[in-house]
Amino acid sequence: MSMFLQFTVTGIAVGLVYSLIALGFVMVWKSSGVANLSMGQMLLLFAWFAYSMLAQKGIPIWLALILVLVFSLAVGWLMERVILRPLIAQPILSLITVTLGVSFVITGLVSFLWPKGIAALPRLFPQNPVHIGSAIVSQEYLWAAVISLMLFALLSLYFKYNRTGIVMRATADDQKAVQACGIAVTKIFSRSWMLAGALAAISGVLMASIGGITFGLVDTGMRAFSVVILGGLDSFLGAIVAGPIIGLAQMVGGGYLTPLTWPGVNDVIPFIIIIIVMFIKPFGLFGEERIERI
Amino acid sequence: MLKLNNIEVAYLNIIRVLHGVSLQVEDGSIVALLGANGAGKSTTLKAISGLLHVEDGAVTDGEIEWNGAKIHKKNAEEIGKMGIIQALEGRHVFGHLTVEENLIVGSYNRKDRGAIKSDIEMVYDYFPRLKALRRKMSGYLSGGEQQMLVIGRAMVAQPKLMMLDEPSLGLAPLLVEEIYEIIRRFNTERKVSVLLVEQNVRVALGIAHYGYVMENGRVVLDGTADFLKNNEDIKEFYLGLSAVGAQKSFRAVKHYKRRKRWL
Ligand SMILES: Nc1ncnc2c1ncn2[C@@H]1O[C@H](COP(=O)(O)OP(=O)(O)O)[C@@H](O)[C@H]1O
Ligand SMILES: [Mg+2]
Repeated sequence: MSMFLQFTVTGIAVGLVYSLIALGFVMVWKSSGVANLSMGQMLLLFAWFAYSMLAQKGIPIWLALILVLVFSLAVGWLMERVILRPLIAQPILSLITVTLGVSFVITGLVSFLWPKGIAALPRLFPQNPVHIGSAIVSQEYLWAAVISLMLFALLSLYFKYNRTGIVMRATADDQKAVQACGIAVTKIFSRSWMLAGALAAISGVLMASIGGITFGLVDTGMRAFSVVILGGLDSFLGAIVAGPIIGLAQMVGGGYLTPLTWPGVNDVIPFIIIIIVMFIKPFGLFGEERIERI
Repeated sequence: MLKLNNIEVAYLNIIRVLHGVSLQVEDGSIVALLGANGAGKSTTLKAISGLLHVEDGAVTDGEIEWNGAKIHKKNAEEIGKMGIIQALEGRHVFGHLTVEENLIVGSYNRKDRGAIKSDIEMVYDYFPRLKALRRKMSGYLSGGEQQMLVIGRAMVAQPKLMMLDEPSLGLAPLLVEEIYEIIRRFNTERKVSVLLVEQNVRVALGIAHYGYVMENGRVVLDGTADFLKNNEDIKEFYLGLSAVGAQKSFRAVKHYKRRKRWL
């Protein structure tokens, strides 16, 4: 029983972080129609950057974290401005391919700048584990869950009440009509890339404080793709709901099945779920309803 | 005042669509741009609003002047900020946004945030029906309500020149009258110039002061609304309209599909 509880709590917590990453993906997809395949590599880059900042003597933790956030916003902005904007109106395949190219570049850069390839992030959260019923969970998981939930709330307020947030949703609906209102959609694209960068940085730091910095962070990014596909490419709600589903499947299913089958089975389970869901709902659980009223 | 001097427009540098169009819109007037499908009316509007660039089109010759400044090289954002706003053909509402959120997008470029609320109230004054629907998702509105929203979204930007592309398309006659009366009121009360693209010649000339008739990328006839109403060719064109009307719905479907691909 305590095992089950432990798997459940950690599964949900990790799943919520997957949701964060997925939100970054969905945001860019909805506003500019680009599938950003480099989310995992961005996670890796920002986690290493956080490592470097936190390791600096003399910089307080809060300042180091702010620097990470600023760096991630800058990287997001740069990716849109320098790489994607010149490709506006190019075939969708080129846009996707170029993000794949970016992911290779980041991988190379990370290996070059941080050749040791593996490191532990300095502790950000209190060390003593927490008892939940009969389960013992280390605090990183709980903080990850709480921070993710807070960010969901913040983002939904942003999209509901902030004028730029509203225009971002409008752009997802009808880019040309946004331009007809005299609004520069390129500003909207760059805003969504910056937000995606920030989400990658936050989730990168959260995952790194749970499991250390390794190339496994790229796999975490891959798992966020499963979340996106399961939840529906264009659905924020889908990303939020599908994250914990994937996290649970991986932790609970993996936790019980690994001793019976083979190590690594936990990575297969999410895909089995996705395949089943795809048969039933091809646009994902929450793929946006198409409003067709003519 | 808006002035088009002999403009030529081509898409993709090869498909020439406008062959020397000249027209002008005096401050505070309503000008109708008439003509059959494919005549180049929407292209003319897009050339003015700067949306041509979005579709790989460009003004290849001639010039467009707005209050003395040349604007044909500017983009939609700059032109919008100068006070020219276009409502696209075919009721492009933001379907997943509420009515009010649609209007907020329309007012996005307003610097003065305090004025936005009163601008939105102004739109509700002109379209009380929109006020009742303010929290409703606009994708579920009826065609007429969506058209009102598209016009309201242009109004809320506080333009000096509002360009409307076939606002009567596919609407019941009574609704068309209602919407046109509101456009006329907005023009007189707010001193906003209106450039109106229409195939429905009768209603358009009902409120316009001046009109231009286009054919194959050229202006073939122009004059005051009264002159045009009594012109024999116009009468014939106007009678021939029902045949065009039959094709229209088919084209609307095609247009809709094309839009879907954009997303
Ligand atoms: N984006 C485009 N690319 C190429 N040709 C276009 C484009 N848009 C319109 N055209 C062509 O330009 C001509 C005029 O179209 P348009 O301005 O939409 O006419 P109207 O609004 O009077 O029906 C048509 O022959 C149309 O096929
Ligand atoms: Mg047209």
